[in-house]
Amino acid sequence: MSALLRETRFLLRDRGAVLWIALALLLSAAATGFGIVEVRDQRATIAMLLEEDARERKSALAGQEDWGGAAYAAFHLTYAPPSDLAFAALGQRDTAPWLHRVRILALEGQIHEADTRNADFGLIGRFDFAFMAATLAPLLLILLLHDLRSAERVAGRHDLLVATAGAARQVWLPRALVRFIGLSLGVMVPFWIGAGFEGTAPGKVVTGSALVIGALLIWWLLVELVARGKASPPVQLTGLVGLWIALALLVPATARALIEAHTPVPDGAEILMLQREAVNDAWDKPKAATMQPFLARYPEWQAWGAVDKPFAWKWYFAFQEVGDMQAEPLAKSWREGGLARDKAAGIAAFLSPASLVERGFERLAGTDSRATIAYEDRVRLFHAKLRAFHYPLLFREPPYDPLAFAKLPRYRPEP
Amino acid sequence: MSLVFRIAREEWRLWSRSRVVVIAALTIAVLVGVTSLLTARGVADQAANRTARQAEAEAAFFAQPDRHPHRMVHYGHYAFRTPPPLAVFDPGVDAVTGQSIFLEGHRQNTAMFADARSGADLGGFAALTPASLYQLLVPLLLIVLGHGIVLRERESGTLAVHLAQGQSGLTLMLGKALALAGVGGLLLLPVAALALAAIAGGEAPLAAVLLVGGYALYLAVWALFVLAVSLWLDRRSVALGMLVFAWLVTSLVVPRIAIDAASAAVEAPGKIESDLAMLSRQRAIGDGHNAADPAFEALRKQVLDQYGKQDVAQLPINWRGVVADYSEKKLTALMNEIAEDRMTREAAQSRVVTAFGIVSPALALGAASRALAGTDLATHHRFLRESEVLRYDFVQALNNLHARALTYADDAARSSDPEAEARTRVSAKAWSLLASFRFVPDPASARAARAVQPLGLLVFWLAVLCCAVVVGARRLRP
Repeated sequence: MSALLRETRFLLRDRGAVLWIALALLLSAAATGFGIVEVRDQRATIAMLLEEDARERKSALAGQEDWGGAAYAAFHLTYAPPSDLAFAALGQRDTAPWLHRVRILALEGQIHEADTRNADFGLIGRFDFAFMAATLAPLLLILLLHDLRSAERVAGRHDLLVATAGAARQVWLPRALVRFIGLSLGVMVPFWIGAGFEGTAPGKVVTGSALVIGALLIWWLLVELVARGKASPPVQLTGLVGLWIALALLVPATARALIEAHTPVPDGAEILMLQREAVNDAWDKPKAATMQPFLARYPEWQAWGAVDKPFAWKWYFAFQEVGDMQAEPLAKSWREGGLARDKAAGIAAFLSPASLVERGFERLAGTDSRATIAYEDRVRLFHAKLRAFHYPLLFREPPYDPLAFAKLPRYRPEP
Repeated sequence: MSLVFRIAREEWRLWSRSRVVVIAALTIAVLVGVTSLLTARGVADQAANRTARQAEAEAAFFAQPDRHPHRMVHYGHYAFRTPPPLAVFDPGVDAVTGQSIFLEGHRQNTAMFADARSGADLGGFAALTPASLYQLLVPLLLIVLGHGIVLRERESGTLAVHLAQGQSGLTLMLGKALALAGVGGLLLLPVAALALAAIAGGEAPLAAVLLVGGYALYLAVWALFVLAVSLWLDRRSVALGMLVFAWLVTSLVVPRIAIDAASAAVEAPGKIESDLAMLSRQRAIGDGHNAADPAFEALRKQVLDQYGKQDVAQLPINWRGVVADYSEKKLTALMNEIAEDRMTREAAQSRVVTAFGIVSPALALGAASRALAGTDLATHHRFLRESEVLRYDFVQALNNLHARALTYADDAARSSDPEAEARTRVSAKAWSLLASFRFVPDPASARAARAVQPLGLLVFWLAVLCCAVVVGARRLRP
């Protein structure tokens, strides 16, 4: 204990070390602060859009005179609100959409709309806590610990210190431990305060903290291994920075390139083209070409399935769904390709502590690829509910009564 | 002069004997080589693929059968953003913005299917490109090479010998600078090779030369910074720590802070948000599918007066087509207003980001590099604007056909009368009204103009660091 207190006193007098820890604190505070501003902004946007959306739907439905026109006119907002941890890892929220307005038309034509922000944001990336903890904190740790031994060696005190202490461990362990704790606190305290502000579930905070500290422990071990060599401080630092580049940058980038080459996904544009051709061809084809596959999926509408006019709403919406059905295999393999890539990335992340921390945070925060796909699944589910609501009205054609729309399905985000 | 060269040669000899330096240099060389090849191949594939798809989309449009013109309005068309030749070096925002856009009547869709969306997420940095390697890693190599360039001599005592022999600090410095410049020149060879390849692929020499010049400027800034630190500090390990710290802040922290700052400083609503805000104004324009919409009352009076008729059924043109044309025009003006507003805001955000280039050469160079390569946000905006013109032109050409080639009576009866419906089908020959579209970025001069400001920031740094080095060299003492 006294060794730790002694080293803490030394640390406070070591201007270089205090600088690195203060920098960690500052960067972590900035990352947390920016993250909180952004998620609050996103929540405010969603709250505002929900109101606008309800108002718009009401006025769009007001002018309608038949079930088909009403189904055509009513848009519904779907969204994925940021979770209580999203402030720490904005993840895919800058590149994947988390807002849609869908209606009962073919879903494939709507779900791939990308409501993304400024492209520069997705390109450069945000300074969020996950990036700070996964990528920068290790580099700061390296700068803090790399010359513990070699600096004493250069100063000529190394052998004396070791001899006086009896065992080498008794000198370096407390000294490195104090610095490690100092840096970890510098990184984590702003995050904990931010989590307090955001009301993050304690379980997520504990897991996230363990992830960051665990990864930093690995980095400490690496620094320790390199520091035992007798190389000069600059050579050691060069080696460590090289190691950092390899683990934080090259391994993830290489893994990513390999995974993407190994697991191809279909060209997204094909989904849309296929769907468009299917939907548009339907106009020129005999009505049976649409109604047959449609009724095969929905035998319950068989009795109402005859279309005798050039235009009928039920036929119009049926061919929208048949268009989706045609694009289904492609859309499915696009979705599964994304999941497979994500799974492979999850395994590859074990090669890089930095990837592991960032992915871990994105998973906890619900901002990873899997969460993006889960949101899409929810939109699909909701769209299916919309169809299930409108089809009875379109096929049975009861007298038009706008009061029925009080029971329109409502989108519920994941709790 | 020969003295300067001898000093430089001595430095090169030392480097070639240092294992650390050789390993670092070889690693970077292999990385740059492999990344360049992979990126070049990937971009070439993309370019060929998108050009082919653009042609396919046009052929599909022309091949549509006889039908009602409004059906072609919704059949729509696609525009593909083909990557420019210099994208082999810096693909820029290509991976984050969608690469194709569906064009149809009454809507401005977003560009869809960005690569980043289906990419394997390993956090941190986006995929490596030659540009990002140069921006991030090459400075580190200069740091490893150069941090001890003067300090080594100081620590080993040879600096005193040099100075005692009557060499001025400035001569010594010139030699050291030449040594670093030689490395920089070697490092620039891959950029130059890719730039030449881009020129062979049709790129304007001005943009390619400026791109190489921009990277040369960037490496010069770092080399001078390394030199200055090595001159002004007195311990190697402190110098190296300080340089790594500077690299960390300027290359990793500031660019991302700039993004957060821009996002917080300039509010730029997303598409759905601005679309919703637009809806009430859109309703005031009227629904172009519904010729009886009261919003078209004024238009009806005006057209009836113009032709001296009492009822739209007596008009020599198809009233429904007139309404479609009129509402598309109004709606497009509104949509463009909103889209322009969004693009202006995004451009303002990007200006905030670029302004941070004053403290981050990496950020300044990145902005200049994307601008010159034609892969920046402004080029994506150009793509959005051009595809909008394409959309509006073919939609209005179809609406014009709708107004002139169809009779109002047939058009009104087509939903219930199969014979009238058959008469509303226009011959497929008319579909040739669609213009051919091949996306190309701005001319090189316009791209160069966008790169001037960020390159100016680099020049500013170069000047400041030159002064620091010269002053440091003059007062060099053992």
